Amino acid sequence: MTEKIRAEHLMHTTHIRKDKSQIVINVLTYILVTIFCVMCILPFWMIIASSFATEDSIRRSGFTLWPSEFTTFSYELLFRSPDQMIGAYIVTIGLTVVGTLIGLFIIAMTGYALQRRDFPYRNGIMFYIYFTSLFSAGLVPFYLLMVQYLNLRDSYFAILLPLLMSSWLIVLMKNFVKAIPHEITESGKIDGAGDFRIFYSLILPNLKPALATIGLFLALSYWNEWYYSSLFLTTKVEYRPLQYHLYNVINKVASLKNSVAGSNVVITDLPGETLKMATAVVATGPIILLYPFVQKYFVAGLTVGAVKG
Amino acid sequence: MQKAAQQKVINYRKPSVGRTLKQNRTLIFMCIPAILFFFVFSYLPMPGAYIAFTNFQYNKGIFASPFVGLKNFQFLFISGQLGLLLKNTVLYNLAFIILGNILQLAFAIMLNEVACKGYKKTAQSIMFLPYFISDVLVSLLVYNLINYDFGFISHLVRNLGGTMPKVYQNPGAWPFIIVLVHLWKSTGYGTVVYFAAITGMDSSMMEAAQIDGANAWQRIRYITLPTLKPTVIILFLFAIGGILKGNFGLFYNLVGNNSMLFKTTDIIETYVYRSMMNSFNFSQSSAVGLFQSVVGFFIVLGANAFVKHLDPDYALF
Amino acid sequence: MKKLIAVFLTLAMLLSIVPVLAESAIDTSEHVKIVYLVTGDKPTNRTDEVLAKINELLTEKINAELEFRWIEWTDWQTQYNLALATQSGDIDLIGTATDWLDAWPNSQKGAFLPLTEDMLKTYAPKTWESVSEAHWNLCKYNGDIYLMPEDNYAQWTNHGFMYRGDWAKEAGLENGVHSWEDLGVYFKYIKENKDGVIPWDANGNGSSYSPQMAGGWQTSHTGNIAIEGFPVAIFYGESKDNPYTLSRYYVEGDELVNFAKTMKEWADAGYWRADVLNYTGDVVAEMEEGKTGAHQHHTQTWTSERTAMERKQPGSDLGFFWFGEEASNLISLNITHGAMAVAAQSKNPERALMVYDLMRNDPEIYHLMQYGFEGDMYTVDENGLFSRPDGFEDSVDGVSFNFWWGRNDNLEYRNAQLDWDAIQKMYDAYDAVKIDYPYGQYIYDNSMVGVFMDNLSNVYNTYMPRIVFGMNDDPEALVAEFRQALQDAGIEMVMSEIQGQLDAVYAK
Repeated sequence: MTEKIRAEHLMHTTHIRKDKSQIVINVLTYILVTIFCVMCILPFWMIIASSFATEDSIRRSGFTLWPSEFTTFSYELLFRSPDQMIGAYIVTIGLTVVGTLIGLFIIAMTGYALQRRDFPYRNGIMFYIYFTSLFSAGLVPFYLLMVQYLNLRDSYFAILLPLLMSSWLIVLMKNFVKAIPHEITESGKIDGAGDFRIFYSLILPNLKPALATIGLFLALSYWNEWYYSSLFLTTKVEYRPLQYHLYNVINKVASLKNSVAGSNVVITDLPGETLKMATAVVATGPIILLYPFVQKYFVAGLTVGAVKG
Repeated sequence: MQKAAQQKVINYRKPSVGRTLKQNRTLIFMCIPAILFFFVFSYLPMPGAYIAFTNFQYNKGIFASPFVGLKNFQFLFISGQLGLLLKNTVLYNLAFIILGNILQLAFAIMLNEVACKGYKKTAQSIMFLPYFISDVLVSLLVYNLINYDFGFISHLVRNLGGTMPKVYQNPGAWPFIIVLVHLWKSTGYGTVVYFAAITGMDSSMMEAAQIDGANAWQRIRYITLPTLKPTVIILFLFAIGGILKGNFGLFYNLVGNNSMLFKTTDIIETYVYRSMMNSFNFSQSSAVGLFQSVVGFFIVLGANAFVKHLDPDYALF
Repeated sequence: MKKLIAVFLTLAMLLSIVPVLAESAIDTSEHVKIVYLVTGDKPTNRTDEVLAKINELLTEKINAELEFRWIEWTDWQTQYNLALATQSGDIDLIGTATDWLDAWPNSQKGAFLPLTEDMLKTYAPKTWESVSEAHWNLCKYNGDIYLMPEDNYAQWTNHGFMYRGDWAKEAGLENGVHSWEDLGVYFKYIKENKDGVIPWDANGNGSSYSPQMAGGWQTSHTGNIAIEGFPVAIFYGESKDNPYTLSRYYVEGDELVNFAKTMKEWADAGYWRADVLNYTGDVVAEMEEGKTGAHQHHTQTWTSERTAMERKQPGSDLGFFWFGEEASNLISLNITHGAMAVAAQSKNPERALMVYDLMRNDPEIYHLMQYGFEGDMYTVDENGLFSRPDGFEDSVDGVSFNFWWGRNDNLEYRNAQLDWDAIQKMYDAYDAVKIDYPYGQYIYDNSMVGVFMDNLSNVYNTYMPRIVFGMNDDPEALVAEFRQALQDAGIEMVMSEIQGQLDAVYAK
């Protein structure tokens, strides 16, 4: 806690005692970052604007910053059966929360153990983990494993489990742990605490920025998940994750037109551009709006839990 | 400090394996969930990569299908395109890695120097937005901006009395467009990584520098950047393993079947997709993946050994 | 430890190779579920309701019920092939086709169960009766029957251009568009006289235009006949009089150059947008709004689009110029354009055949499947024409089985809403010139030259879009370059291999 106060105090003092270089950097930052932010916001704004435009006007004049003919038709279409959307939200949020909490804990634990200099197996285990990011068995063996051996077809575990962690996130966590002074572990040892106790009571509270970042990445990978859903959740599953729904709406036309079926089969009821945009807004809007709040309380909650424990 | 640690490692290694295991049992237990996870989801299916060496028969299964040696690897090598594909794939990846990291580092450091907390938070969130826009939508947006007949920029250029180039027929323009789009999409994500690394660093050093009267440039140069060095190296090592793997979604959606642009935009993934569009072949796509992995693996081994040689602490494993 | 892991891995993987034995005694005492693999999006209309009724009937008749496994259109190619490759008795009936669902390559890869005559006679007797011996022979690979063909269903899926009859008249084409030349006149008229209309607003991001356009010109200007089943559409027979000699159209001759030149002229004249190769818009919707004058697709699409256009653009008199019209070069639809197969690992192949036999031949089940509940969802008049009630919306009130693998004209009703006068006129014109598909017994064997075929496929997909949409400065040079690339990719070798395979089947 004192650490934080000190850092804030430092920030504060820098703020007051600004030297010239500090001012230059600040001005540069405001200009460059703001320009980049505008570049990031504009397309998103165009998507929102297009979702409120008529199909006609999109075809005529492409995307615009303001819909020339305002309509909420796409949203009405989208929420014609609100059950589906609500179900999709519940599934996605559930998977994201559960997956992130479990995954984050395991990742942090592993990252800490692998960073301990006195742990003789750390390089071996690290290699064992890293190797999986280079080599994968390919689609068919993985599919057989999931469906025939683990029996996970039509199960939400088919999404929850494979996304729990990745070698990339473990490496990242290990790297963040490195910044924590080794003395903390040493002092814990001297106090007679076990390795897990040291990790849980001493390391975790110091890992806040890392937990927030990796938690964010984990949460994003759950929130954005569509691939495993497309492989393992067949049409039998009633509620499918939000992003899979979005992926379907947006890619259906493309995957039809790019294939032989495009010249053989006549499919009606293909989604229009505005519906695609509306779906994109509905599927991504919430996490963007909620992200700053969730992150704040998420980190606070973690820290509290760790300190109490 | 480091010496002490090394001393300890030596001390632990001398005794029997059983004792070492016992002494480290808690740490081992802490790794077991991860070890199990990767065993089940990555190693268990791995023997199935044998599919790349077979003529896969659906009714026989992978291991009973006839073995065909390296036949599935053949098509990439006899195409006469491999050189171009390797060049494009590697150059794009290098551009992504190098430019991407520079941009992310710069933004993270700049944001760290800004005092206004609200701005920091908002900027970070906004920079994340493009990450959420799927490749199909990105390609639609790009098309709407730069297409010749009705594009947003075309309108602008014409209204200003200029002539709009036909971008979709000009292969020279696309490396810039693709790199730009990639940077636009990924900068937010990477910035967060570096920003977290900066936040997590020891603030006492900063304080000391402050007291010593170092200006902002000096602090960045002598404290922030060195602190970020391990992160940069780790990220680089990690990225280099995928140097032959391309982002299919991005390239395919932006370029599609526009063969006028292939010279500068074709990567291994798009080529393979096009060749096998109408003849689905699991064995051949596995073979291509295996080829990419093996090459990536040796490059990483080399790079890791090199880093280890310089400073064992920075190595990946 | 390592050894242990290795042993474990091997054991785990060995399990996958033990084939599931599908033999069982003939009896229907056990209630079974037959899973039907079908391409299409899961319908949100009344399909489930109708399926429940059908399952009642199926249970009563053969103690079985039907269940769908939809392969949704998103990523359907991967999903479909994955389902076939990793089957473990979880699917029983598979909808397939030789031209767009790779029925033969999939048979070669062991995805389907070979069907013996005994099985068919015993479990699918009506189907066995209704398909002629000649047709069964077209469903054989290596002497075994793998497919049950949709051979009693009149439809035409030959490609061409839909155009507006009213605009064609204005353009001075009194009888409509009947040649590529007419099409050029028609496009030119639209370009010059219809402000804001793009003559053909093609969305060239789809690759399917290449073979259709290039092949369309080819069938209109030569007697060449397309041979199905190749991953790249450059293998044609010489003519109906000499069908078993491969045409050298793509390696030499002027006609491909003429095509490239014409398309270059059209591109320069602005008959489609400059960035056509990256445009993904919806041509049909644009045509219905009067924003474009043409749509390139097949006859079957035209039959329903003509009605839709008449409603949205009254007086548009949508016509159809079919590729090959100038040369009277028309081939009947291959009977395996749609077919049903039984999954290789099916646990109940007998019952699956019985279910299919009923789907295809039982009037009550067939009508439920194709039209839904009579009275409630449709009515049939005394002429055998069916109509939907007012305000009927197929995506809400209809039924979708996507049963494209055994439709049966003996049980079909004609749709009263279609313009049967115009359609019949077209069908009669077709019947006057059509010949049967000459290559029904030939199944391409990919094992010898497959590697080269993939390269040819890539060369084709690299050059053809540029030729088709005139994206070049010098069409002659581009065609020469294309041909050189084909040579480099080994086309001569591939052609002689295919010629050899053809000779082996058809040499007398």
